Amino acid sequence: MRAYVLSRLGQTALVVFLSLTAVFAMVRLSGDPVLLFMPMDIQAKDVNEFRQRLGFNDPLPVQYGRFLAGAVRGDFGESLRYKQDALGLVLERLPATLLLAGASLLLTVGIALPLGVLSAVRRNSLLDHVATVMTVLGQATPGFWLGLMLIFVFSVKLRWLPTGGTGSLAHLAMPAVVLAAFFAARIARLTRSAVLDALGEDYVLTARAKGLGEGRVVGKHTLRNSAIPIVTLAGLEAGQLLGGAVITETIFAWPGLGRLTVQALLNRDFPVVLAAVFLVSVMYTLINLLVDLLYGWLDPRVRLR
Amino acid sequence: MKKWLGIGLTAAAFAAALLAPWLAPHDPLAADFVQGLRPPGTPGHPLGTDQLGRDLLARVLYGARLALFIGACTVLITAGVGGLLGLVAGFVERWPSTVLMRIADVQLSFPFILLAMTINAIVGLGLRNIILSLSAAGWVVYARVVRGEVLSVKQRDYVQAAAALGTGRARLLFRHVLPNVAPSIIVVASLQFSSFIVAEAAISFLGFGIQPPTPAWGSMLSESRDFLYFAWWLAAFPGAALALTALGVNLLGDWLRDTLDPKLRV
Repeated sequence: MRAYVLSRLGQTALVVFLSLTAVFAMVRLSGDPVLLFMPMDIQAKDVNEFRQRLGFNDPLPVQYGRFLAGAVRGDFGESLRYKQDALGLVLERLPATLLLAGASLLLTVGIALPLGVLSAVRRNSLLDHVATVMTVLGQATPGFWLGLMLIFVFSVKLRWLPTGGTGSLAHLAMPAVVLAAFFAARIARLTRSAVLDALGEDYVLTARAKGLGEGRVVGKHTLRNSAIPIVTLAGLEAGQLLGGAVITETIFAWPGLGRLTVQALLNRDFPVVLAAVFLVSVMYTLINLLVDLLYGWLDPRVRLR
Repeated sequence: MKKWLGIGLTAAAFAAALLAPWLAPHDPLAADFVQGLRPPGTPGHPLGTDQLGRDLLARVLYGARLALFIGACTVLITAGVGGLLGLVAGFVERWPSTVLMRIADVQLSFPFILLAMTINAIVGLGLRNIILSLSAAGWVVYARVVRGEVLSVKQRDYVQAAAALGTGRARLLFRHVLPNVAPSIIVVASLQFSSFIVAEAAISFLGFGIQPPTPAWGSMLSESRDFLYFAWWLAAFPGAALALTALGVNLLGDWLRDTLDPKLRV
């Protein structure tokens, strides 16, 4: 078990290293960020001085080595725009994103799980049909369009909710719903099919035969056995949730990691981009490690090696 | 129901794309400031006009053209490249395929949309680059699914028999293995098609894809944000077109999976 966790942590380091290298290579091969930050009437001498100061004049391998040495210590340099430590800037925005992601995860679990279980247990009922239509629509509706439409209805027409920003539960409501919609649709669909699979197993038949109530059959014997595919998908989707946050945060002016990344990309503020890539890949691989550890707890037959 | 709704919506989207020049009442780029921000139902402009007086119906129809073109190109490239890599990686189980799958793992550990957007921000914007960035971000799914299928297909008796008869490796791979993995490739392609269309729109929405004034659904939605208070139709119609197209292709993909390859998990 311990060896397993250690080797997985090693893999995490490898993934992070490779993603950083790929982004570094793309950034450096694509052009000169320095020129974009200079006023139009700049002298060549000043450009060169600026470049010298940031180390862009050194050979690429030297720059790469320096970049890695910094990255190991969590030093990605100073944001070209905000003149602040890049990783610090990214970490400062992290809580807002975690709050948003946490709220939508809560919404997802609170809505999608019961909905999926109920539509599996009451298969072909009206509820099942309504749920199926909703999940299919939820998966096809692009989040940014849903966001715009919600703003139109709840902010422009009804004036119930603010269009963007942060600070209260009212600010959180629409972004959390938009981020949760797609995710919840997928989880509800998968829950339904996983529960249906488990309901067909022999141990469910046994449980029913020995006279257990339907509540216990579903609650105790079925749910736990259908948890593995659901947890797997949730782990995989957690990474895409971070991707979805990029769009949701932009629409609702939510001051999180995603919005910062979009702005940094638009401004070619590459230290911030690299720091954000670092944080996202670390979080994502750790979430997946957590999911794998959960397997062993959910299903003791799973042995991690 | 699923089948016919899927086929109907997809066919409608393709018809809109192919017939846009004949269906559109106006040139999608022709500005007419006098007619700016007219609501739907205005004579001559069934879906209204945008802030520059351009006809919204024409722009939505031409948007279908762009969206489906980008989706189709990306699906062809990713199916070709990812499929071929997966085919070889499943067939030749040596270190190159291990390395390939590791790369796929690393790439999958990064949000798809963020990856495509980062590539666009770095290599540049525009039609060609968005197809390239979506392809670069999307090939892994094929490589994975196809490799998994090949690993199981090549153990089947008919492949073993053909090998025992002395069939060459290339012939074995392309005549005996490929036709049996083809259904999975088709199913993944149809499911990926809609996610590529939505991803393109999202990237254009954020400003890293197709740029105005070209009528792409994503950039139209992005522009519509400034007019949400008095021109809801600018946000409603391009988004509805996008959602209905995605819905149609999704349903078609689901139906294809149920018919061709019910066990496949994507």
